[in-house]
Amino acid sequence: MSELQHWTGPGSREFWYYQAGTGRPLLFLHHMLGLQGFEPALARLAETCEVIAPHAPGWGPAKDQLAEMDDGPLDITLHNTDVLDVLELEQVDVVGVSIGAWMAAELAAIRPERVRRLVLVNPLGLWIDGVEAVDPFAQHPGFPSRVLFADPDGRKRYLFEGRDKLDAHVEELLNLRASARFLWPLPDTGIKKRLHRIQAPTLIVTSEHDVIVPAAYGPAWCSELTDGHLTTLPDAGHLAELEQPDAFSRMVVDFLQNGAAAAVA
Amino acid sequence: MKFHWFNLMPWPYLPDDFTEKHRSVWVDVDSRLFDPVKANRIYNEYLDLLELAEDVGYDGLGINEHHQNAYGLMPSPQLMAATLSRRTHRAAILLLGQSLALYNPPTRVAEEMAMIDCMSGGRLISGFPVGSSMDDNYACGVNPATLREQYLEAHDLVRRAWSDPDVFAWNGKHYKLRYVNLWPRPIQDPPPIWIPGGGSVETWDFCAEHRYNYSYLSFQGYVRGAQLMDGFWQRMETLGQTFNPYQAAFAQQICVAETDAEAKRLYEPHARYFFSRCLHVHPGFADAPGYRTEATIRAGLISQMAGQSSALNQAAALSWEEMIEKGFIVAGSPESVAEQVERLARTLRVGHLVCLLHFGDMPNELCQQSTRLFAEKVIPEVRGLWQEHEDHWYPQPMPATERAVPRPVSMPAAAAPAEQTLRIAEGSQ
Repeated sequence: MSELQHWTGPGSREFWYYQAGTGRPLLFLHHMLGLQGFEPALARLAETCEVIAPHAPGWGPAKDQLAEMDDGPLDITLHNTDVLDVLELEQVDVVGVSIGAWMAAELAAIRPERVRRLVLVNPLGLWIDGVEAVDPFAQHPGFPSRVLFADPDGRKRYLFEGRDKLDAHVEELLNLRASARFLWPLPDTGIKKRLHRIQAPTLIVTSEHDVIVPAAYGPAWCSELTDGHLTTLPDAGHLAELEQPDAFSRMVVDFLQNGAAAAVA
Repeated sequence: MKFHWFNLMPWPYLPDDFTEKHRSVWVDVDSRLFDPVKANRIYNEYLDLLELAEDVGYDGLGINEHHQNAYGLMPSPQLMAATLSRRTHRAAILLLGQSLALYNPPTRVAEEMAMIDCMSGGRLISGFPVGSSMDDNYACGVNPATLREQYLEAHDLVRRAWSDPDVFAWNGKHYKLRYVNLWPRPIQDPPPIWIPGGGSVETWDFCAEHRYNYSYLSFQGYVRGAQLMDGFWQRMETLGQTFNPYQAAFAQQICVAETDAEAKRLYEPHARYFFSRCLHVHPGFADAPGYRTEATIRAGLISQMAGQSSALNQAAALSWEEMIEKGFIVAGSPESVAEQVERLARTLRVGHLVCLLHFGDMPNELCQQSTRLFAEKVIPEVRGLWQEHEDHWYPQPMPATERAVPRPVSMPAAAAPAEQTLRIAEGSQ
């Protein structure tokens, strides 16, 4: 179990992050609902890699940093570069889920030399007219993230269990607010025209039951990449690593260690 | 005390099975339910009612802004204000909404309001709501995470554009203009500013800071409203503001008939239309993430956990008598209504009553009747309330003798009756 760490100093705005394991460094960029502590998936990944999982500006303890972020890719990408710099990580593997996958793709497109391999799980950031997708920001405010899980009890199980109900609900709404900052009113971030810049071999993963990023988006991302590979994660919704931590981390580690071969298998 | 006649301008043809077949009256409401030919009559009748309200003595004519909404047919209240500025001559034009963050540049709002103030001879009250989440975020696409920031910046820009006689540069976070130089400018310096709000502490503080009128616009009625207005007045006291009832307005559904029983018979179906069909809003459009501040979210969740419903359409399930008892509607004979209005004004301590005398699918003639009865038999009973206070939130127009008089228009003598015109139009489709 890793404790949340807090970094302050010259070279970056302050940030909060988990760091665990040894091996090749892996930057984990979280989804719309932020990090739910040191998650089981992070623990699995830390068995083979050195995992660094920061809260993005706007999420969790960094909620007040949202006002410092423009909605475009520049501020968030410079922030992630600063994080790598101050932690002295020259080149990393990057795994992003949901909005984190968009941030990961921006980092790899804008600073291709810093990313060795890239895994984008249920990536937001592209928009295809006519593909039916659920709007994650037009849900009942009483249970706004229910649609992000395949399991109907997922929201309760993964976001609320063992927590003060009021605090968990407020944090849920604030994390959605941070997501909306970058993705409102629809998740077209302009990444499409930058995807060709990514040099890292990239695995695109879509969850079997993700209604936010339907399966049709997988090929759409892949076709813009010079070295893209596509696969599906069964029995999971949009917040894939919460619902399937074992299958998720196995899939990630296989790709990072073995490249394309594992993804195809 | 002052009384403003206000119309949301609802679409009156939502089908009986609307709430079963459709998920929302707002944002993604089925446009096939709208009929522009019928709208020709509806808009004109609604404007007729506003003009009638001036004739019979109301102090202000209220209009507001909604988008993609079947209970509010005014995406542009300025258009309504423009026609009212020509067709009326005395009453205030209570423009209770220009959601500032929807306009880029926001100086557009400053320009249009200045035009209306000039055309009307200084009768404008300018309302600056943040706007609902349905309108701002879902229908118009403004980012909820920055909406309030944009609103506040737009407000500062509009105020300065109205008052600074020199050309200035505006280098804001959301708006950048090299040359701000408003032509025309309003007659009033500035027009009275009202802030329609729903109950966030930030809005109260904003009203206190600028000495603005706070207008509580809800459809929950005055009994529920009392709790919120108490909060407002306490906050004003805490901030050291002198109490003045004219610093607050409250919107209330009202209907008057000769007797209580008659009021029930005449108006209940239209109240039900409003509370069930018009307030049938998909909950997912009520509150975009970031629309409310963290403090307001927390307070809202606490009251929900305490069992307070936040559903817009909660009155739909009540009996007529319960609707009156809980204050969702003020209704009855002139005596009953005067008594309810006085209770409302004293409990909420408000000097401006925004009277929603048209609601739902109420026909024109019926609304005229209620409008007249309220003006003739209710207003005189309660007019004297708060007379010891001076109203700083009502327009100071040009003297009537100095104002331009619009050229009288000659209407065709034998215009076809509205119903007949409608049938012809439908038959020709």
